[in-house]
Amino acid sequence: MKKALFPVLVILALLSSACTKQSGAASGKVTLELFSTKPENQTTYQGLISAFHAENPDITINLSSPPEAGTVLRSRLTKNDIPDLIALGGDATYRELSSAGVLLDLSGQSFLDRINGSYQQMLYDLHADKSKTPYGVPYAANGSGILYNKDIFSQYNVALPETWDALLITAKAFKAAGVNPFLLTFANNWTTLPPWNSMAPVLAPADFGLDRAKGTTSFAGTHEKVLEQYIQILDLCGNDFMGTSYDDGNKAFAEGKAAMMINGNWSIAEFLKTNPGMKVDMLTFPSSNDKSKNTITSGVDVAFTVSAATKNKDAALKFIEFMTRPEISQRYIDEQFAFSAVKGVDQNNPTVQGVKETIAEGRVSDFVDHLYPAGFDLASILSAFALNYTNRMDNTQNIRETLQNCDTEYNALQ
Amino acid sequence: MKNKISFHFYLMILPLVVLFFVLHTFPFLQGLFYSLTNWKGYGPWEFTGLHNYTQMFRDPKIAEAYLFTFKFTICATLLVNILSMSIACGLNAKIKLKNFLRAVYFLPYILGSLVVSYVFKQIFSNIIPVWAKALGIPALSVNILGTNHAWLGILFVTVWQSLAFNTIIYLSGLQSIDPDVYEAASIDGCTGFRTFRKITFPLIAPFFTINMVLCGKGFLMMFDQVLALTNGGPGTTTQTIAVLIYKRGFNGGQFAYQSANAAVLFFVVIGLSLFQMKFLERREKKYE
Repeated sequence: MKKALFPVLVILALLSSACTKQSGAASGKVTLELFSTKPENQTTYQGLISAFHAENPDITINLSSPPEAGTVLRSRLTKNDIPDLIALGGDATYRELSSAGVLLDLSGQSFLDRINGSYQQMLYDLHADKSKTPYGVPYAANGSGILYNKDIFSQYNVALPETWDALLITAKAFKAAGVNPFLLTFANNWTTLPPWNSMAPVLAPADFGLDRAKGTTSFAGTHEKVLEQYIQILDLCGNDFMGTSYDDGNKAFAEGKAAMMINGNWSIAEFLKTNPGMKVDMLTFPSSNDKSKNTITSGVDVAFTVSAATKNKDAALKFIEFMTRPEISQRYIDEQFAFSAVKGVDQNNPTVQGVKETIAEGRVSDFVDHLYPAGFDLASILSAFALNYTNRMDNTQNIRETLQNCDTEYNALQ
Repeated sequence: MKNKISFHFYLMILPLVVLFFVLHTFPFLQGLFYSLTNWKGYGPWEFTGLHNYTQMFRDPKIAEAYLFTFKFTICATLLVNILSMSIACGLNAKIKLKNFLRAVYFLPYILGSLVVSYVFKQIFSNIIPVWAKALGIPALSVNILGTNHAWLGILFVTVWQSLAFNTIIYLSGLQSIDPDVYEAASIDGCTGFRTFRKITFPLIAPFFTINMVLCGKGFLMMFDQVLALTNGGPGTTTQTIAVLIYKRGFNGGQFAYQSANAAVLFFVVIGLSLFQMKFLERREKKYE
């Protein structure tokens, strides 16, 4: 009888040991988890964390930066296993976390004074109740527009386009010279978003996001111009854009296979991996013919938040204080080609000089897709739009159906 | 005492029953429970009754995913069974290098489906178009995964990989046939395809049943290959039910709603499997 019980006991023992969590580390030492949703900045974080460890020997920060981090984070939330520190973008995930009450209110922390107010406002805009409670500390901002190959532009002696018409003329000139004007990578759905995000804030009504949420407006009737111009870009795109993946496209662009790519500063580090000597710069997307209206798309790329349930609140705040010091922030943006949300920290890298002036003039608009509800899969809708285009669907019909799709999908989420 | 099954047998299966309940049945019941709420995956929630289920029937995306999954399941099941039965017959015949070839045909089963899919993704995007351009075949000169025919690419990879396991099952079925039967048939003048139709196929009917059921179940829950090859795109043209559940359930904050979808999928799979078993077993009986 006892022999028969043995395997059962073994199994039960295994189960119970799997269920009990490893209890806390030795006295005095605290270990924190920093969860990051951005795979591109892992190495930078590791370097900064080492610097933090040197200053605070009693605190250990463990970085976890899994692939598909947004999904991982959500599934961890379902298990109520919330990381102490979460570094995430100012997007729909942030909106959900901030309204679900799982983030610590950071009001009164001195490091908030170091932060640029307009980026803090971008986070407030995401709050479901529009409250001005600082649940997150904006840290780095990104920028999206047109990335162009400087060497190709100077080789063909082409001026930088500042209006929509000029962009078309430039692109056509490249095409005539046998150079692929635009390289698009729609095999990865999300890359259909940057052109939309650049054009929609300029060409669609200003309060569209809010009005659409109220139900007083619709995509149909407001976004036709965006898609018309989108098609003009597709007309000038010279690669198998539906079948090119983001990775392959970045490599091809770095090898000089095209003049322009419509994407953000996060791609630059990828180009330089393939071709460290590449001369690349960013250009404000000329959505309209009125130069003064065109904006650079910039949003909060990294914001630090703290779990409301963390047992190591002081250590977590100490880490944020450390990260927001100007010299540390400078190091971060230099390595990441990003823009700092910390006051007085400037991005001086030549790869993004083309947009510095636009940003200084304040011609900045947030990523419009951050203002749509989570689950509104605009990337899939635009990918279907591009597929229709390659199937030679009539453009007017394609635009009409795509915008109808946007409205139907949006309504289905209510 | 004589008819009573020894207590030890129950003890032996107990660990597995406990594990199965804890890791499978309990989460499933939890999912059923949450499908009756409006839970987003975290935070507060309340009961909404059958609202998620009624909403499903009004959601065009869900209908689209079900249609695509059924289309895919039918094509894949037919292809896999026809091909694996042919391969099994070939591998069961007296051919040279029989054991080596059996190993070769079993190889795809050992590889992880994500690995296989990523390799094929590379082949579709960087190898086939280059060859097709060199050979002047315009139809294949673009990445098939970015066209209307993306599903054919997925079908190819899935069938290629699924063949292995089904071939093994058919092979074991073929080996269970007594050679005397064939001898008797050949004395009666039965040859070639007729032997297959009149003798082989009826005798491996139970294996046909099990393969059909396993294929049907497996392909209705298609996930890995789609996620790796196209992530449901272009647009949502290759979005299977499982991919939809995953993408919208976790990324879209529709945890409860997609739990309802998962529950419906579960009953669809059970229903279809039972139907297949009943239908095919009746067919088996004809031969007994």
